[in-house]
Amino acid sequence: MNGPGANSVLLRASGVTKRFPGVVANDDITLEVRRARVHCLLGENGAGKSTLADLFYGVHEPDEGVIELRGEPIHMVSPRDAIAAGIGMVRQHFELVTPMSVLENVVIGTRGEAKVDLRTARDRLGELCDLYGVEVDLDTPVGDLAVGQQQWVEILKALYLGCEVLILDEPTAVLTPEGIERLFTTLRRMASEGLTIVLITHKLHEVMEISDDVTVLRRGRVVRTSLTSEVTMADLTRMMVGRDVDLDIDVTEASRGDLVLDVSGLDVATESGRGSLKQVSLRVHEREILGIAGVSGNGQDALFDVLVGMQPATAGTIVVDGQDMAELSPAARLDLGVASVPADRIHQGLMMDFRISENLILGRQRSDRFGRRGWLNQNDIARFADDSFANYDIAAPSTTHVTRVLSGGNLQKIVMARELAGQPRLLVVHQPTRGLDIGATEYVRRRLVEERDRGAAILLISEDLDELLNLSSRIAVIFDGRIVGEVDRRDATIDRIGMWMAGVSGAPGEAPP
Amino acid sequence: MSDVLEALINVGVLASAIRIATPLLLAALGEMVTERAGVLNLGIEGTITVSAFGSFVVADKADSLWLGVLSGVGAGILLSLLMAVLVSSIKVEQVVAGLALNLFGIGMAFYLFRAVYPQTGGEMPRSDTFDFAEIPLLADIPAVGEIVFSQHWLTYAAIGTCPALWFALNRTQFGLELRSVGNNPAACDMRGISVTRMQYLALAFGGLMAGLAGAFLSVFLSGLFFVDVAAGRGWIALAIVIFGNWRIGRILAGSLLFGYLDAYQLSLQARGLEVPHQLLLALPFALTIAALVVNRRRSQEPLHLGVPYFRGER
Amino acid sequence: MSTDMSTTPGSSSGSLLRRGGWRLEKRLEVKPWHEVVTLVGAFIVGLALCSILIAASDKSVIDSYRALFDGALGSRRAIYETLVQATPLIFTGLAAAFAFRARVWNIGGEGQFFAGAMGAYFVSDLWSAHLPRGVMVPVLFIGAAAAGALWASIAGVLKARYDTNEIITTVMLNFIILLILSYLLGDLWRSPDTFYFQTVTLPESTHLPLMIDGSRLHWGFGIALAMAVVVYVVLRRTALGYEVRGVGINRTAGSYKGISVPRVTVLVMAISGALAGLAGAAELAGVHHRLQLDISNNFGFVGIIIALIGRLHPAGVVVSAIAFGALVNGAVTMQIQTGIPAALVDVIQGLSLIFVLTGAVAVRYRLQRTSSDE
Repeated sequence: MNGPGANSVLLRASGVTKRFPGVVANDDITLEVRRARVHCLLGENGAGKSTLADLFYGVHEPDEGVIELRGEPIHMVSPRDAIAAGIGMVRQHFELVTPMSVLENVVIGTRGEAKVDLRTARDRLGELCDLYGVEVDLDTPVGDLAVGQQQWVEILKALYLGCEVLILDEPTAVLTPEGIERLFTTLRRMASEGLTIVLITHKLHEVMEISDDVTVLRRGRVVRTSLTSEVTMADLTRMMVGRDVDLDIDVTEASRGDLVLDVSGLDVATESGRGSLKQVSLRVHEREILGIAGVSGNGQDALFDVLVGMQPATAGTIVVDGQDMAELSPAARLDLGVASVPADRIHQGLMMDFRISENLILGRQRSDRFGRRGWLNQNDIARFADDSFANYDIAAPSTTHVTRVLSGGNLQKIVMARELAGQPRLLVVHQPTRGLDIGATEYVRRRLVEERDRGAAILLISEDLDELLNLSSRIAVIFDGRIVGEVDRRDATIDRIGMWMAGVSGAPGEAPP
Repeated sequence: MSDVLEALINVGVLASAIRIATPLLLAALGEMVTERAGVLNLGIEGTITVSAFGSFVVADKADSLWLGVLSGVGAGILLSLLMAVLVSSIKVEQVVAGLALNLFGIGMAFYLFRAVYPQTGGEMPRSDTFDFAEIPLLADIPAVGEIVFSQHWLTYAAIGTCPALWFALNRTQFGLELRSVGNNPAACDMRGISVTRMQYLALAFGGLMAGLAGAFLSVFLSGLFFVDVAAGRGWIALAIVIFGNWRIGRILAGSLLFGYLDAYQLSLQARGLEVPHQLLLALPFALTIAALVVNRRRSQEPLHLGVPYFRGER
Repeated sequence: MSTDMSTTPGSSSGSLLRRGGWRLEKRLEVKPWHEVVTLVGAFIVGLALCSILIAASDKSVIDSYRALFDGALGSRRAIYETLVQATPLIFTGLAAAFAFRARVWNIGGEGQFFAGAMGAYFVSDLWSAHLPRGVMVPVLFIGAAAAGALWASIAGVLKARYDTNEIITTVMLNFIILLILSYLLGDLWRSPDTFYFQTVTLPESTHLPLMIDGSRLHWGFGIALAMAVVVYVVLRRTALGYEVRGVGINRTAGSYKGISVPRVTVLVMAISGALAGLAGAAELAGVHHRLQLDISNNFGFVGIIIALIGRLHPAGVVVSAIAFGALVNGAVTMQIQTGIPAALVDVIQGLSLIFVLTGAVAVRYRLQRTSSDE
């Protein structure tokens, strides 16, 4: 320890605990972040990383324990206190005022003269952009920027306030490999100029690539803090999951059957133009899982929505079992045997204030199975709920409890139980294991494979390459709303898929038919 | 028929249009600021009523018009702060809180009115009223002088507020942050801006303006208080904000238009003309619905209007 | 995962309740008894605060409230009269509750009440001379429901089609229908033998029979109770009710699973408008027997408050409508006996609502001792 110089501890959490109803999000966390270094917080979804970041930024107060900055305990009740102390944060979900310009977004919350001095602000911001090589038009409304650009606005916002520690929560989720490279270069440069960086991620190779120190979190606890140079990826994996798990599910290749889904020339226009689809063609057969890989924001949402009928196609056909359903409503598609598991199960998949049994029949409340002529048969619903509980190991006090009380894994099981109950012909699945713990993840993946073997055609949209490589029969890559490559699982390599994900077109012969 | 046409450009009608527009403009400007901070305050009707009473009773009993205006404004701010406590601190549904405020405010004002002036069956109690504030020289201009420069001082103040408010909202740090709160409170919270504080301030301003509107009705226009003194003006102000698409210039224009339609139909009635004046009165409301439909693509409506903000919930 | 459940109410400066080792935590489940306690508590606090108002005007609080009680429930006659007052409020309360269940903010109960009364008048104007009471009265109610539904549907269709804010459109429609009625009463529908804005008295064939002879309690009350049962059954036992509640909880998830939110919105508005319209028929055929501008004592707006106090449950609506009817009815006696202005009732209602709202939020949290005091 040599005073405030390099390698002194800047930020420290000691014995920090944070509870939320039913969960201990952070349990007795102690860790030190040293000055001018890149420190990764590594852990799975739900390990407590974001909560810890929120505690460092004053979003929540710890129930127990102390956070120290420069050796002094600091008590933060609001982000204002964190900003004043020199802590900046870029959250996973951007906090931008979309109708306002980049410049205005940056200026919000700066304590200055009463009158906005946009000219000075523009100059200072220009300097920052030059310094870190950020290219963004300061007068564009933020809502019109691409997601990757929006992230830079968030970073500029933090830097503009003159922070000493910059916390980034999963910043790479919205970036292409190329964008990640640029971000990491910039972060390195920032660190070399004295900025301390805390980077939250669940991706091992990112830790190895960028960090000086790494702290692994598991189930809200610190497993260990190490110098990155002293650990291997295998060590980190073990620490993250607590045991050597092999998520590779045995996917003995089933022979595929008849063509179920035939999408051709599909266009979807979105209002902002971002996330739209252009000339997408896909085919999925019985007993086949087609994986869709891609960096988030390249049209996956539109693809899911257009298939389930939530967004109209501007051109093209969506044929299921020989019938074009491009013009059909979501309800009509359900009747055709199209089931779906949305990415955001809480907002798109479930009624959190319904009884669990009611959620289990969502979409089939008018089917003969649960009533007649618009009347609901309570006995049939109760019986179905009991069956679902048994078949899907749903852990809940009763079928009539309000859905809100359940954990993420059980919520997903309810969605699965509901969607698979009708023995769908086509199952469209979007990010099915996001935010789930290992047990639930395994369970969901196994169910998908079982469903495939039963005979369903499955379209699996995921941002998790491991998941795709494990489950898919074929993998197609979506970039900027187009399918830029498709490859059989046996021929798939991370390198090749990564190239496609970055928008580098495949060599001749690799393009989709 | 010619009478019907003559009234369209009659000097007296035009002058009274501006007079009638004044409380609408005041209340609408206040509501616009409140909504910019993300709070839909349906309680302006009640706020206006309470303020009209506050102004009236103090002007009458303390025999001071200025004290009357002051207490009307005070009452308006108090009631709006109650709204702020409900929606911003306790996070009650805004629509509901606004309706509760109307019921409570109007009931309270009328109860106190009856408590102070027990029903006697005689004449209604009456307070003094402000005189018109004619602007020297300008008021002598033919027609224009009578229409524009012979109004109440509060009318001039209301119109003068427009550019000042435009500057405050668009050219100051505070205005920028206030507008941001209505669009994305979470972003502001993460920037260290207190969403609660902003909404309290915005509501207080809304209360001040509705308070002035209430004062205008009692101690400028009529010198009377009665339970229906607001006569729907709070709701019309709400309509004007939408009609004006949250922009100050259009809100001014909307207030004048709505005021004009009212003045016009009043003059037709006064002349005993057999025209369906109710249909003229209904026009502003129909126009507002039309504006909602027409403006929907380029609406300036704050993105987070009417949604309570909880930190940590997305 | 924590982010969905975690919350401390109040942002930075709103953290009034977080100091000193105590903290608010969100409950996952609110039990029915929590709600009942809240309601009763809110009402008591409302009454208590109003007693300060009474005391301030040098009147006896106890005498005043006794007069209020006597007038409301003190005699058989008083009770019947209370139920008469409650009748339109049950209808408008159900109208609001049904719409709010789908989170469709129908603030237009007042206008739909008048639309209903106008519809009832219109059909009786057409047919009352030719039809016997047994047919005319049902026809009149159907006419009222249809008119209320139609008027509300304007806002429903605009919302479904253009996503216009129904709060604003229903409020605007309230004003428009009153102005239309005012026009009709001054012209086409005006009774020839009067200078007032009112229609002729409707013939006997349109009068609702009395439930209790010698009182004013008409069968409108019975119909209101029946509608409460119908609304309950629809909400709990039918696919439509399921969809209505679903749209209220999460319309995104609903539309992903095939519920047509625009269709439900239009239907909800129409049904809500029909219920409010029935109130107009009940008042016209049960109490006033002629159409004029003051047949509503703010029933549409008070119905909204009743729905909220009744926690959007049909039984809650009936109970709070009767409670409000009792207050209104008792207030008259109180004013006569003690000179306390009847407007006090509005204050009690407003305050109670404010406390109910506060309480409804409050029960979602519980005070939790934090283990470390800073």
